Amino acid sequence: MKNRLKVLRAERDWTQADLAAELDVSRQTINAIEKGKFDPSLPLAFKASRLFDLPIEDIFQYAPEMNDTGKTKASE
Amino acid sequence: MSTSIPDGQKLEGRLKRSTQKLFIWTFVWLLSTALVAFGPKLLWDFNIFASSIALAMNVLLGIKMIWANKQHLEEMDEMQQKIQFNAMAVSLAATFVLGTAYGLLKPAGLLASTPSPSNIMFVMGISYIVTLIINTIKYQ
Repeated sequence: MKNRLKVLRAERDWTQADLAAELDVSRQTINAIEKGKFDPSLPLAFKASRLFDLPIEDIFQYAPEMNDTGKTKASE
Repeated sequence: MSTSIPDGQKLEGRLKRSTQKLFIWTFVWLLSTALVAFGPKLLWDFNIFASSIALAMNVLLGIKMIWANKQHLEEMDEMQQKIQFNAMAVSLAATFVLGTAYGLLKPAGLLASTPSPSNIMFVMGISYIVTLIINTIKYQ
């Protein structure tokens, strides 16, 4: 899943720690989400949506994972 | 930036408190385990009543420790929980598979002495810590 957390955070001049405190998660979790290593739960996505005052789909976009051949895992 | 969450209620503060509680209950349980292990021989000369009380106390303190661990896990955020649960799953599976194999060593004639169940604790602890480290690095 892709997301715009880093951009939205930068626009507001917030650090990862600031955003983490606001969403009540650890800074490591924010870092992992921004890097696309961890997908947040629906409640956390809603929390971010409320915080940035944006629809969820403007923050998180579904992007199927690609394998080495460029195919999505779901299509295999 | 000031957050809407009071300082005392922040994740780090909550985790610190739950970790302290878990440490205290684990330490107390460990002491009671030592009491059950060494008390009968060194303190009360195998008195059945004293041993029963010590054992009951050990189990009750163990339950309290499990409860403190559960509360500690509940205080974590979702990624921290995922890392912990993955480590627990791998630890459980490794313990099951290697514990079964270990138990079969004597019947298979590969081990002269009777396998000690306490050795399984090492498999559990090591597999848990190794998976915890791997998953923590994975999400960094």
